[in-house]
Amino acid sequence: MKNVLLSTRGLKKVYGKRDSKFEALKGIDIDIESGESVAITGKSGSGKSTLMHLLALLDQPSEGTIKLNGKNTSKLKQRKLNRLRNKEFGFVFQSFFMNTNDTVINNVILPLKIAGIRRGERRKRAMAALETVELGDKYKNKANDLSGGQKQRVCIARAIVNNPKVIFADEPTGNLDSATGAKIEELLFNLNREKGITLIIVTHDEELATKCGRQIHIADGKVIGDGKGVAKHDPSFIEDENLDGIRDKNHTKEIDVEEE
Amino acid sequence: MKALDIIHDANANLWRSKLRSFLTILAIFVGSFTIILNSAINAGVNDFLDKQIANMGGDGYLEMMPAEAYDSFASMISTSGPQEYTEDKDSTNQTAYIKDEQIEKAKKIKGVKVFNVLPNASADYITSDKIEKRYRLNLNLVVDGIDFDMSHGETPNTAEDADYEIAVNEDLAKVLGYDNVADIVGKTVKIAVPSTLKCYTAIKRSECHTIVEAKVSGTQAPGILSMGGSRANLALWKRINAINYEGMPAETNRSYQATADVDPDRVKEIQKELEEIGLKSMSVEDEVGMFQSFFDAILIVFNIFGGIALVAASIGIINTLFMSVQERTREIGLDKALGMSNSKVFLSFSTEAIMLGFWGSTFGILVSMIVGNVVNKVAIETFLKDFPTFQLTIFEPMTMISIALIIMFIAFLAGTLPARRASKKNPIDALRYE
Repeated sequence: MKNVLLSTRGLKKVYGKRDSKFEALKGIDIDIESGESVAITGKSGSGKSTLMHLLALLDQPSEGTIKLNGKNTSKLKQRKLNRLRNKEFGFVFQSFFMNTNDTVINNVILPLKIAGIRRGERRKRAMAALETVELGDKYKNKANDLSGGQKQRVCIARAIVNNPKVIFADEPTGNLDSATGAKIEELLFNLNREKGITLIIVTHDEELATKCGRQIHIADGKVIGDGKGVAKHDPSFIEDENLDGIRDKNHTKEIDVEEE
Repeated sequence: MKALDIIHDANANLWRSKLRSFLTILAIFVGSFTIILNSAINAGVNDFLDKQIANMGGDGYLEMMPAEAYDSFASMISTSGPQEYTEDKDSTNQTAYIKDEQIEKAKKIKGVKVFNVLPNASADYITSDKIEKRYRLNLNLVVDGIDFDMSHGETPNTAEDADYEIAVNEDLAKVLGYDNVADIVGKTVKIAVPSTLKCYTAIKRSECHTIVEAKVSGTQAPGILSMGGSRANLALWKRINAINYEGMPAETNRSYQATADVDPDRVKEIQKELEEIGLKSMSVEDEVGMFQSFFDAILIVFNIFGGIALVAASIGIINTLFMSVQERTREIGLDKALGMSNSKVFLSFSTEAIMLGFWGSTFGILVSMIVGNVVNKVAIETFLKDFPTFQLTIFEPMTMISIALIIMFIAFLAGTLPARRASKKNPIDALRYE
């Protein structure tokens, strides 16, 4: 039996008012099952980040519904949403977002501290999470003294320390060289395989996207491809940011709006 | 997130930008130091004045005498220090006395609760076994129910049938041969009491003296208000009165001193009305009022300085925290993404403001206590040498704590602006912020 974890219907997001109105998402219907590894792809400005923010309950949709475990989240109060994010989600960002002046373990502890868990308990859990990313011996170090790859591993430890159901990763390898990036990818897919954590990765890295079990391709605020292996055959991957000029008409329009 | 974590993090965040926090704390410190030291001096002066007022009988206590007698009395109290008694220079003016009609009128004045006519009692000199010299004795009665500020020993027993007891001024105790004034407590002094009738016929005044022995129950520190007088208990007072009027008709035994306990709010009016019926009175206010209002004015000025410093410090807090919110935009975004509520974000920034206030006022208390104690020591050895009971600065724990709390509250208020801005940050925008 299918176990739908996240489900969206008619999801729209509109920024601005009247003249400067901009529709970032134009009606998204997707279902993500528990334990899936999903890549949300698309070039910058396509709306993929907006979609992730909505799925992660960081933002409210202008229209449409998001159901988490069959429950409509739009009816939940802010306090409950905060709790859900804290308990069920983990976040990994492209530029890490960590307190570089603090120690490694204190960075990992953060979600547990926000949850109000006792000192002894959160330390134990943070150490376990650090062991998972093979940084147990570095717990005392200042976060600033770590390499980029190590930093991202600390962030993964922070993302899994609360035993989440879902990890949202926004370009997790974007700031890393390919060798280090590969290690981070391996780590994330291992978590997906071994612990059954649902993985939602936002990326425009084709290679990373193809490693996921499913690719949802977004363009111009709509899903233009969804399924296993879609990304490989998707023409929009050719026109990455560094390949300007090969844009089709639709995309040009979208860029214009964004620049306003 | 737990309260202890919030406080711990707030403190840790303060020390992230050490110099900035230190300077803000320094600004709060200047304000709190000024206000705390002021309040300590205020407490010291008031404590001293309260002791003096208590010695005189409290706020509603009046001492009075017929206007005619006032002048001679005034000349007596204006002299400072113990004076050697000489027979030919000293005699007491007893012609003016408080008349029955004055008593009746005085009792009817609105606000007069108790009106006591003191029996007349006068002694010529006091001496002790240790010395040959004799010293003039300015005698007051210990008023029942008033707690006197004794530097050594106890207040004389006010019971009617008590032993003869007297409290003497420390200066007098010294000239009576007790360099260590505490030693005089419990010792006997000799008081020469003249018998008016005998003195008319005596060739030498000493022939009409009866020597009364009294026990020294305690000593009083010299103060701005203790009129250099010694205080006899009622038993001794009555004995002296009896000797004074020995063999004389009862109607001659009249009083020229009275005391009254009056409504403290009407002291001024009552004094005016008493003067109209020929009774000159002195209130505690007369003695203390000028000094106190002068002192209050100075303290108000200094407190205004302290207040201005705190206002400036509050602006410093606002500035510091706004910078902090700006610098930590991404951190706030992350905290919120990871489930921290707006109110917790607000709370953590206001806690930081409160911590600034806490450190500022704590250092303010510590440094002002150190400075206050040094000033105290210097003052006692120099310009307050004559007032050993005068502690220039008194640090009352409750006052210190409430000042610290008020400063922390002001800091909190200052912090609400930046804390509000932090709590309103949208996590997505905050995470995008570079």
